[in-house]
Amino acid sequence: MTRHVRLTVTAVATVAALTLTACGSGSDDSGTSGTSAAGPAGSGQSGAGSGAAPAGSGAGAPAGGNDAEVSDAVVKLVLNQDVDTLLPMDSNVGDNIGVLDVIYDGLVRYDPKTSKPYNYVAQDIATKDNKVWTIKIKDGLTFQNGEPVDAAAFARSWNYSAYGPNAVANNYFFERIDGYEPMQGEYEEDDAGKVTVTKEPTAKELSGLKIVDPLTLEVTLTAPFAGFSTMLGYTGFFPVAKACIDDVSGCAVKPIGNGPFQVDQWDQGQKLTASRWDGYTLPESPAFTGIEWTEYAGKSSWPDFQAGDIDVSAPPPALWAQANADPDLSSRKVESPGAALTYIGFPLYKGKPYDNIEFRKAISMAIDRKTIIEKILPGQAVPATSWVVPDGVPGGKAGTCEWCRFDPAAAKAALAKAGGWPAGQTLTIHLGKDETSEQYFKAIGDSIKLNLGIDYKLDPTPDFFDRRSSRGFTGIFRNNWFPDYPLNENYLAPVYGGGDAKKGNKNLGFYDAKFEQAIKAGDAAPNLDEAVVKYADAEKILAADFPTVPVSFSQNVAFYSERLDNVVLDPFSGSVELRLLKIKQ
Amino acid sequence: MSDPSVSALVAEETATVDRVQGGGSLWSNAWRTLRRRPEVIVAALVALFFVVVAAFPRLFTSQDPQRCDISNSGIRPQWFSGPHPFGTDIAGCDLLASVVYGARPSLLLAFIVVGLSVLIGVTLGTLSGYYLGWVDTAISRAVEVFLVIPLLLAALLLLSLFRTVDTGSSVLGSILQPALVLTAFGWMGYTRYVRANVLETKNLDYVVAAKVLGASDLRIMVRHVLPNAIGTVTALIPTAIAGVISTEAVLAFLGIGVRPPAVSWGILISNGSERFTGDSQYLLLFPLGCLVLTVLALVVLGDGLRDALDPKLR
Amino acid sequence: MGRYLARRLLQGLLTLFLVILLLHLLTTWAIQLNGNPALAFFGDRVPSPAQYAAVAERFGLGDPCYAQVGNPCLGPFVTRLGDYLTGDFGTDLRGRPVTDIVGTAAPNTLRLFAVVTITWLLIGMTLGSVAARKRGRLTDHGIRGLSIMIDALPVFVMLLVYRYVLAVPLYTWAKDTFGSNSTVALLFKPSFSSDHPMITVIVPGILLGLTGSAAFIRLVRAAQLENYNSEHVRTARSKGLTERHVVLFHIVRNSSIPVATAVGIVFTEALAGAVITEGVMNIYGMGGVLWKAVRDSDVSLVVGIVSLLAIVTIVVMILVDLLYAALDPRIRYE
Repeated sequence: MTRHVRLTVTAVATVAALTLTACGSGSDDSGTSGTSAAGPAGSGQSGAGSGAAPAGSGAGAPAGGNDAEVSDAVVKLVLNQDVDTLLPMDSNVGDNIGVLDVIYDGLVRYDPKTSKPYNYVAQDIATKDNKVWTIKIKDGLTFQNGEPVDAAAFARSWNYSAYGPNAVANNYFFERIDGYEPMQGEYEEDDAGKVTVTKEPTAKELSGLKIVDPLTLEVTLTAPFAGFSTMLGYTGFFPVAKACIDDVSGCAVKPIGNGPFQVDQWDQGQKLTASRWDGYTLPESPAFTGIEWTEYAGKSSWPDFQAGDIDVSAPPPALWAQANADPDLSSRKVESPGAALTYIGFPLYKGKPYDNIEFRKAISMAIDRKTIIEKILPGQAVPATSWVVPDGVPGGKAGTCEWCRFDPAAAKAALAKAGGWPAGQTLTIHLGKDETSEQYFKAIGDSIKLNLGIDYKLDPTPDFFDRRSSRGFTGIFRNNWFPDYPLNENYLAPVYGGGDAKKGNKNLGFYDAKFEQAIKAGDAAPNLDEAVVKYADAEKILAADFPTVPVSFSQNVAFYSERLDNVVLDPFSGSVELRLLKIKQ
Repeated sequence: MSDPSVSALVAEETATVDRVQGGGSLWSNAWRTLRRRPEVIVAALVALFFVVVAAFPRLFTSQDPQRCDISNSGIRPQWFSGPHPFGTDIAGCDLLASVVYGARPSLLLAFIVVGLSVLIGVTLGTLSGYYLGWVDTAISRAVEVFLVIPLLLAALLLLSLFRTVDTGSSVLGSILQPALVLTAFGWMGYTRYVRANVLETKNLDYVVAAKVLGASDLRIMVRHVLPNAIGTVTALIPTAIAGVISTEAVLAFLGIGVRPPAVSWGILISNGSERFTGDSQYLLLFPLGCLVLTVLALVVLGDGLRDALDPKLR
Repeated sequence: MGRYLARRLLQGLLTLFLVILLLHLLTTWAIQLNGNPALAFFGDRVPSPAQYAAVAERFGLGDPCYAQVGNPCLGPFVTRLGDYLTGDFGTDLRGRPVTDIVGTAAPNTLRLFAVVTITWLLIGMTLGSVAARKRGRLTDHGIRGLSIMIDALPVFVMLLVYRYVLAVPLYTWAKDTFGSNSTVALLFKPSFSSDHPMITVIVPGILLGLTGSAAFIRLVRAAQLENYNSEHVRTARSKGLTERHVVLFHIVRNSSIPVATAVGIVFTEALAGAVITEGVMNIYGMGGVLWKAVRDSDVSLVVGIVSLLAIVTIVVMILVDLLYAALDPRIRYE
């Protein structure tokens, strides 16, 4: 079960995927790859619910909505992960998110360039206090089976997700909505591992959801959250038809969507085909008639791409140089920065030498990030010099990490200052089980060994998460963080915050009262811009404490076939924006 | 594909019982035959060479295979004109050193697996064939159960089962687990084979005569039944070793073989085959060449031995 | 014979039971040592006990014994056996019936095995016979040397080199020459295609078959050599039958019996090759499914598939034994 929450690029083959997130090994990816939105939704704090619905609704589709003629081509794409469900409530890996993006429509969609959300299925989203949100839905929309897309369709889906015993992957997104707790029930686990139900869930529906009229949904949150509307375009918030809830297992294989495409057939493990849905009335629809996804489950589709059987792919690392040297191929390449951070954690709870900042500095400065990435993960990553992805999210800035440069002499000096490495001991590097990252971290280990003289050994482990959260690590460990929503706070508070003053936080054993204060100050800020500044202060505190070593940020890349045009990668998921894609005639 | 149990099973089908009494004349005959065959001599020398490489790697390289400098990544073979005769791999490790030090885990694994499997096989096969009855039933059932479970599935299951157990980073520690698993699923062929052999031998006149004369079971087994079986099992050993060396490469490809940081030929081949398509063919060709040479030498040796020990095919 | 058959069948059932028990114990132990796969479902999030229990229940791993190292978990085992008896092989972790998965995956693997077997037999019988006839001469040594060389090449090397180096130019050439949907073009398609399941497994099958053929060449050669020296062949020759007749009807036919049985025995062995071939060539087959199931600790899938495989293998083994008992009077079953 190494599935986890992975974020892979839908059609774009292995790139960011293998590097950072695939195989679930060690990634923190919370899989909300769709939630790429900056700041509060367009309609955010728009005063009275009815009135001025700003940016969103009217503006409609950004450039790229396809009113052009429709090509009768079938686009051939790839699924790299073991996709095992197409249920929106349960879809949290890059691949099924990518598929569902054309099968379903959400309340909002995101501008591919700025990540800003705009209303799509929603007519208007309004709130006065960031706590009670009123969502108005466009009239006349239906599911592919004819059922109406109304407030009930959304409530149905969200209630299903939020109900603990349904155990769907997107459950935790609903914890901000009033009435989430009573739907989880309480269980007790004795020492032998026997689970007894002490309290069945007392509710089956979120008390915070109220269907005001067929097209109006009122959502009450447990606490104000300015970013709530930015989450609403994520797969987990898609509406579902009643027929889908009646037959969940059927719907997981053959979804009943409300988007421009419908699934024709899914031969699980082999391929998935979808075609245009004639009843689609909204503007953003792909400019071709069909899509065929072939499942590769980890194997490279590159030869098939070269042979012309696949439209979008990326070469395995070994063929990277060759592909880039080919002028024809490299003219059909798109690259865009990703948002995932790979960093090295230390078992601060183990004491010496990990709790010594000089030791951590030594490790950091001993790693030749640039050369390692160039050789091992060409084109798939960029060296990191900060904890928050620069320019990708509000508050992200390059260069906040002072010791993220490669400097063997300074590294040796720092190690000496830290009292050296205990003679005869081996440094263990824990990481998830995933071939590419094993190669990556072998090179990092080699760098440490070469420049600091510390012998190392890799410990690839499939139960990375369990061992990390139970503090079972005896050496340094690889981590990936993929943000849930585009805000610098999301790179900081969930990873380093909320710890016990003595024992530190769960995974890392980190605690700094000043850091906690800075985060709190951000949370309490009157508006998002001020919050971002406070959160950036927290990053500075982190940079001084240096509990972890940033290594690299992901980079999305795709090569596409001659017949494709206007290939745009989603900044967060790295998948091709199918609704913008054009076919050359 | 060349699994030891298959070679053994295949050999079982063609096994013939030589009716040479006692060990001495059989072995000296065999030795005389082998000496006269040049290809066997060459094969023996090649095999011996790689055993020496595995035993004394320092004779062949002064570099440390674990010392890798990423800034030296992907240097092409320099032969005698630089510090990296075979070049370096993508992580900057010296390839010659890797190949030389990689011989030890690969060969040691093969010797251990075959040694243990033969030991188990001969013991159980003899007991089973000699006593029959419930001993035979129990052993035959065990053989069948192990034969039905595919080796690879068992390897995967067991290797993932014990992966939390730290066996240390010594050479022995890094091969211990694959060795145990391959042995656990490698003894059945020998058992069946020896059993069939014993079944035939014990009906031979001289064995029956020994029994009538009141020789003890142990004495009959050791003096009369075993030599027959061992003679022909010996012929299987080189081929079986070759089989395990190949199997190690397959395990390495699937990521469940010898544990890093130890380098084995299988790991080198598996890494090299990924890079083959670029312009780094040497990363595959050097370790693969060593593996193919060794396997070839062992199989020729095995064929020679079989011919020599099996008078019927002479 | 009838009594022997009945006994063999009973033994087969016992073996089957032991295999299922052994697998059950191994997978259970793996879960106990490595943690419940239900936990992995949540990735990095720490599930509430309710969610965890719900997922564990959905995976069929809700029984507390899975948390106690050393507990053989006989309760779930008995339940599973009972289900098997009613023809219910359970579902995988995602609720897809095992029989459904096998139904999709098995045909592809069987196609692959068919190509492999044909390759083995063709190469083994042809080259083995030639080697036996030209025994001791250059041809014999050449064939033996070549077969050993191919045998020594790990199958994944051949497959990777074929897929990444040869397939694309061959495929492009064939598409240009014969048309993009022609049989020749599809033959060289770099990956398996579920639209053309038979034709796209031919090349992978031949490559896999090549690596296993050395053993068969040797087997056929040895078996035929034995026959050349045997009495019935000498008799046939002395009767004045032509050499061609002797070779075809006495030597080749007699030596094909052990070869046929060996094909049966090698069945489970070929599954190892299938895991690799299916992985590299992107074939959705039993090897790949089993591989993934083991990695995911998908107990019901592992035990379900292997039980089905075991049934097939045991039937084959019984047939082989019967054949032997009938054919070879030298072996006495007491």
